Amino acid sequence: MFRYIVKRLFGVVPILLIVSIFIFMFVHLIPGDPARLVAGPDASHQDVELVRQQLGLDKPIVTQYITYISNLVQGDLGISMKTKRNVYDEIADRFMPTFWLTVWSMVWAIVFGLLIGVISATKRNKWQDYTGMFSAVSGISLPSFWLGLMLIQLFSVKLGWFPTGGSESWKAYVLPSITLGAGVAAVIARFARSSLMDILREDYIRTGRAKGLKENVVVWKHALKNAMIPVITMTGLQFGFLLGGSIVVETVFSWPGLGRLLIDSVSFRDYPVIQAEMLLFALEFILINLLVDILYGVMNPQIRYE
Amino acid sequence: MLNRKYLTALLTSLMVVILVLTGCSGKSSATDANQKPKTEKKQEAQPLAKKEGNSLTIAISSNLVSMDPHDTNDTLSGSIQSTMLEGLVGFDKDMKMIPVLAESYEASDDAKVFTFKLKQGIKFHDGTPFNAEAVKANIDRVANPDNKLKRYSMFALVDKAEAVDEYTFRVTLKEPFGAMLNNFAHPAARIISPEALKKYGKDVSMHPVGTGPFKFSEWDQSDHLTVEKNPDYWVKGLPKVDGIKFKPVPENGARVAMLQTGEADFIYPVPTEQAETLNGKDGIVVENKPSIVARYMSMNTTKKPFNDVKVRQAINYAINKEAFIKVVNRGYGSEMDSIIPEGLQFYSKQTPYPYNPEKAKQLLKEAGYENGFETTVWGANNSDAMKAMEFLQQQLGQVGIKVNVEPMEAGTLTDKIWSVQDAKDAEVDLYYGGWSSSTGDADWGIRPLLAGTSIPPKSYNVAYYQNEKADQLINGALQTADPEKRKEAYAEVQELIWKDAPWAYLIVEDTMAGKKNYLEGVYLLPDGSLNAKEAVIKK
Repeated sequence: MFRYIVKRLFGVVPILLIVSIFIFMFVHLIPGDPARLVAGPDASHQDVELVRQQLGLDKPIVTQYITYISNLVQGDLGISMKTKRNVYDEIADRFMPTFWLTVWSMVWAIVFGLLIGVISATKRNKWQDYTGMFSAVSGISLPSFWLGLMLIQLFSVKLGWFPTGGSESWKAYVLPSITLGAGVAAVIARFARSSLMDILREDYIRTGRAKGLKENVVVWKHALKNAMIPVITMTGLQFGFLLGGSIVVETVFSWPGLGRLLIDSVSFRDYPVIQAEMLLFALEFILINLLVDILYGVMNPQIRYE
Repeated sequence: MLNRKYLTALLTSLMVVILVLTGCSGKSSATDANQKPKTEKKQEAQPLAKKEGNSLTIAISSNLVSMDPHDTNDTLSGSIQSTMLEGLVGFDKDMKMIPVLAESYEASDDAKVFTFKLKQGIKFHDGTPFNAEAVKANIDRVANPDNKLKRYSMFALVDKAEAVDEYTFRVTLKEPFGAMLNNFAHPAARIISPEALKKYGKDVSMHPVGTGPFKFSEWDQSDHLTVEKNPDYWVKGLPKVDGIKFKPVPENGARVAMLQTGEADFIYPVPTEQAETLNGKDGIVVENKPSIVARYMSMNTTKKPFNDVKVRQAINYAINKEAFIKVVNRGYGSEMDSIIPEGLQFYSKQTPYPYNPEKAKQLLKEAGYENGFETTVWGANNSDAMKAMEFLQQQLGQVGIKVNVEPMEAGTLTDKIWSVQDAKDAEVDLYYGGWSSSTGDADWGIRPLLAGTSIPPKSYNVAYYQNEKADQLINGALQTADPEKRKEAYAEVQELIWKDAPWAYLIVEDTMAGKKNYLEGVYLLPDGSLNAKEAVIKK
């Protein structure tokens, strides 16, 4: 197991290298001229050219990449073109708010998603199932900006229970994490329901019931654990997505996170920040995948790591 | 059968959701009133909203970029700087120039030498005295190309800056530039403590030290910036609030909600579609005033059929500007009646092109386009610009011109319009855009957009408009600082270009701000910048 993890971790390096090439290419291929944006709307042609030289954007793209990657290897992510701050600081400032928002959203999503999924599976085709699956469909289909604004109208403006945005107190986490978690909860509920329904048809479940085990024990102890594999995969992926920062939810709730940083830097063509953020997302996904693989083994000891 | 039951449940619930939704938005559909909304009236009617403490929160639309005025080119950052930093001259509510840190100022006849007498006894927040040496240090900094500051171009003409005596500052230009005083009134010319410049160097953008009514307190780049009262401010009796917190809230709905809940005392911009419903409730007042943001559609005058002035005039006649204001801006705006908005210096009113589709058709016929033609309009891909372009499409369709609407993302626009190296390669036909002259002077409202030397990629003349007479007048107006002479020249330019119609002249937008009714003294200038110096909370 330990050797497996070490091996996987070493595998991260070449993947990141390849990813970095793709990111670099794509970022530079987006139409738009950062030099002009940096120089500002009033700048003359000479000013723009001056800025282009300063930023090194006049050099061939291969040279630019080599400079970038050699700086990166030394841990230098560069300077933001927009704010002239160190990219590392820009990202570090935003990582924790996004991380905690993600964690809280996932807590909601897992608790409610599993609960709805299990109830729907065990009360198949009864009203509980319909209600559960209806909320799941709503959770997936409600656009999060709409849900977010409605929650603000109801809980902030009308009732005054929670603030409209910001991340200062625990109260500020409630509305955005519900908004963000709703979609994930829905996905988890659907996966849990279908997976659990398959398991409940298995022979060993019938054996358990025949043995006289209580239904709750059958479902929660014997069936659920085996039904978790696809759910964990799904949850892991969703966690990865959320860690990237939700552009919509962070914008609606003025959340100082990575999603807003990304949209800001894309519209400004702030290459160093976009590249660093994308690289971070790639790294997060790789690590989460590794974590998911390890969790498989915990859930089902038959899965072995070679 | 089961599926059907499921479907029925789903549909019923959907109906409920839709009903709730329409209930919520029903109010706003009543706002398309026929007259221009008047928001001021409701202020008296409602009792003062409750307010705790003596500090303000102002919600703004996007993140702040820099607190170094010499290295800032966004209006928003400039507005926040204005609470802490001041210039020698500035603008009042109506964009008229007023002395700030200067006692008086004068320009030489050839518009090359500008002399400022400074106010005495003023200190920076760090205790450094304000004097001519301090001003010199600032102007030397921004005018030095090696410092690579974004506002260098505004001071590139500076030949030398001198401290004549302790309270007299003189600047000499390399060549005449009649609008230079306006550059000194611009946010880019605000004065930072010379000690702070020495101490922080480039990082002064994180530590602004000025002479203003508020001192810098804290800046969390991802969330907010706060300033606190400067008890030693040189204007007696100011400031009247203890501090201000500026919070970027990009989403319109969330910004409005903050004003409703009282989390913010002042917000801007207020989305026009919510202005009417918001105004007069929860102690909220919405204020709309004419801005200096002009909206127009430029026509590529080098390409057929727009090389014919009759076609260009026909397009101006074919557009109902009043309807444009109602449809696109929900009634908040006014018709453009010169090539620059009224708020700019040296504006001179022209006779608007009245809405007259018959005349438009007549002119098209005279130009040989009796059966119309097909063309394309480019513009930004935000919802306002798209609505505007679709409106223009509909209007021009009425006179037989088929317009294709092509919204583009900002970066793509840059590539396809502003970075085109050779006029011959310009693909652009029509471009829907806008402009706000940040110096408040006619020159910056006209020259970058319509002078022959401003063709892309140099500047923003996307109409590729070339008129020798106009160019002479534009340049001539810069050879003198005498307001009378400049006024004359600009009056002539405005008339000339207005008739030549390189643009379809549309509207001047309103600035839109929302505030609680206990708040006074915070307002938007026509250029969209914010003034909060005189903020006061009524109890």
